[in-house]
Amino acid sequence: MAFLRSYSNASSGMGVADDCKHIFLELQRKKTHRYVVFKIDEKRKEVIVEKIGGATESYDDFMASLPENDCRYAIYDFDFVTEENCQKSKIFFIAWSPSVSRIRAKMLYAASKDQFRRELDGVHYELQATDPSEMDLEILRERAH
Amino acid sequence: MAQLSETYACVPATERGRGILIAGDARSDSIAYCNGRSVIIRRLDAPLEATIYGEHAYQVTVARFSPNGEWVASADVSGTVRIWGRHGDRALKNEFRVLSGRVDDLQWSPDGLRIVACGDGKGKSFVRAFMWDSGTNVGEFDGHSRRVLSCAFKPTRPFRIVTCGEDFLVNFYEGPPFKFKLSQREHSNFVNCARFSPDGSKFITVSSDKKGILYDGKTGEKIGELSTQDGHKGSIYAVSWSPDSKQVLTVSADKTAKVWDIIEDGCGKLRRTLASPGSGGVDDMLVSCLWQNDHLVTVSLGGTMTIFSASDPNKSPVSFSGHMKSITSLVCLLQSGQNVILSSSYDGIITRWIQGIGYAGKLVRKDSTQIKCFAAAEEEIITSGFDNKVWRVPVNGDQCGDSQPVDVGSQPMGLTVAAQTPELAIVSTDSGVVLLQGPKVVSQIKLGYAVTTSAISPDGNEVIVGGQDGKLHIYSVNGDTLTEEAVLEKHRGTITAICYSPDASLFTSADANREAVVWDRISREVKLKNMLYHTARINCLAWSPDSHLIATGSLDTSVIVYEVDKPASSRITIKGAHLGGVYGLAFIDQNSLVSAGEDACVRVWKLLPQ
Repeated sequence: MAFLRSYSNASSGMGVADDCKHIFLELQRKKTHRYVVFKIDEKRKEVIVEKIGGATESYDDFMASLPENDCRYAIYDFDFVTEENCQKSKIFFIAWSPSVSRIRAKMLYAASKDQFRRELDGVHYELQATDPSEMDLEILRERAH
Repeated sequence: MAQLSETYACVPATERGRGILIAGDARSDSIAYCNGRSVIIRRLDAPLEATIYGEHAYQVTVARFSPNGEWVASADVSGTVRIWGRHGDRALKNEFRVLSGRVDDLQWSPDGLRIVACGDGKGKSFVRAFMWDSGTNVGEFDGHSRRVLSCAFKPTRPFRIVTCGEDFLVNFYEGPPFKFKLSQREHSNFVNCARFSPDGSKFITVSSDKKGILYDGKTGEKIGELSTQDGHKGSIYAVSWSPDSKQVLTVSADKTAKVWDIIEDGCGKLRRTLASPGSGGVDDMLVSCLWQNDHLVTVSLGGTMTIFSASDPNKSPVSFSGHMKSITSLVCLLQSGQNVILSSSYDGIITRWIQGIGYAGKLVRKDSTQIKCFAAAEEEIITSGFDNKVWRVPVNGDQCGDSQPVDVGSQPMGLTVAAQTPELAIVSTDSGVVLLQGPKVVSQIKLGYAVTTSAISPDGNEVIVGGQDGKLHIYSVNGDTLTEEAVLEKHRGTITAICYSPDASLFTSADANREAVVWDRISREVKLKNMLYHTARINCLAWSPDSHLIATGSLDTSVIVYEVDKPASSRITIKGAHLGGVYGLAFIDQNSLVSAGEDACVRVWKLLPQ
């Protein structure tokens, strides 16, 4: 007998807004965006899109759009060249949870992450960063192959 | 990108009352010795190039090159022998646990297939010989009851091994597989070293009873001794044969090295005595020697290595030295037009280095107390140790003048000098700060919090004090009082270092939580943040002369250089700069950075623009 629900009970009951899924699909299929930053809106009890980065923006622009003291979820489309000289592109999901942010924010984002992640189908790598040195471009390069 | 341009290596670690071993490779004219957990290989003709191997987990006692020069076998106090490739990436070939206590001596067989190691076996075997690639034993070595201090392998066939030790015995083994043949008890004290002549015909043992005895290489019978006329007056610690097997070099605790002629019937006659240049104190006792090609290398207890010429007795010897213990701070000074680097270690030794030349003497201080904090300004150094005194000493070349200490009330934790007005200095103690003007205490100020470090601005008007809680307190200086201007809270750990930029417009602070922050001095706003790329506490900071680059050195052995105008992620990382942690950093000029650390070495790096 197959179990339909996963065993993780750690969900905080946050919904996911519709445009999150649409924008993710645009990034994945049409490659119109470089990155998307998602935020939890506590009043409406759902995850919403906070910022979309154009295809020409750099990794530094992406890091600048993440707040220093608050948590976020983010998707980044990483382009690189492999050892066999092929151009590849991988999608990274980054759970940005800086150690200087409030405990409440960290707990909220951690509990809602699984539910949100399930909506984004097609992410290649997942990363959790608690300070800027943990989401350095070098780390993305090492993970992607 | 950063490139290593020079290494000022440390000297072998010495111990009073015991000899140490240095090994050499005649073909490449290099020597190998150990200090702490590292094996240092240096070329005698290019002393600024030193390679360091730091893979041992315990203190290394001896390292030897293999006869073909490709491998190095090194052993440590846990009884482990590691065999690794000398060139390339020093790949480990094998590692064997040979004895249950420290290994004191190690020798390769002349064909490079077997190794004999001896030491303190703690009641079990004191000597073991094994195949270098498989570790299988090639003999039973009984006959010793105390620590075996030295062993030697006969360089020609038929193979013999001789061992000698603290039980006053010299044992002779035949093989392979090696078996006990005979034992000699000619010495009346510890037998410190045993060596075969390169042609294998004789071997010599030297002892703390001041005698050297020669034996036949094949049978082990005594054939003669070094003449006692003009002999050594102290324990003889080491012996080395000349390449033609006709002479030996011995070094002794009487601070001299002697060259003896060995005549065919086995007696030795003194040829000449080499006195090492030195002040004649305990530090000049010679503990090791090596005869390689034309060089006679001797090492003294204080760590000075002196090289005499074998063929030309009148040529004055070249001597150089370095640090033996971990370096705690580093300062770059302009002294009579030359860039001089001064490094100090906690045992009170301050060494001068000149870029491009290397060792340039030790600062001879009138009072060689231990040093904890160290700062330097033009022509003067300021030091403090583990007592309550601060010394301000004028320096001329490598001689220090007289000075009187200043008592600051409690043990100083940190010391900085205002760069433009070197009269003013600030000393931080654990409960407050003390302002010094010249040699006098201007005021002692008790602050209400636990102080860890402090810095004074180059013009002497502002002081920043860092606390154990991570807060930075900024004070302005009015004569002899400090007025608090602001408190900056950003750090999440104890402040470990604060440094003003040379143009006084910025300052950097670093904490034990791996973070460094650059602040603008006037507005007290953060100028560069996210300097979080270290993985352990940050120990030291240095600014480049144009105030654009800031370098941080940390306990995680790496040095990171950031540019103030670019984001912190574009940084230059120097990994593995010093085994054990980086404790001192300074910029010599815009492109050269000097670092010093726990491995007692000083390294100069060239920063190449990206």
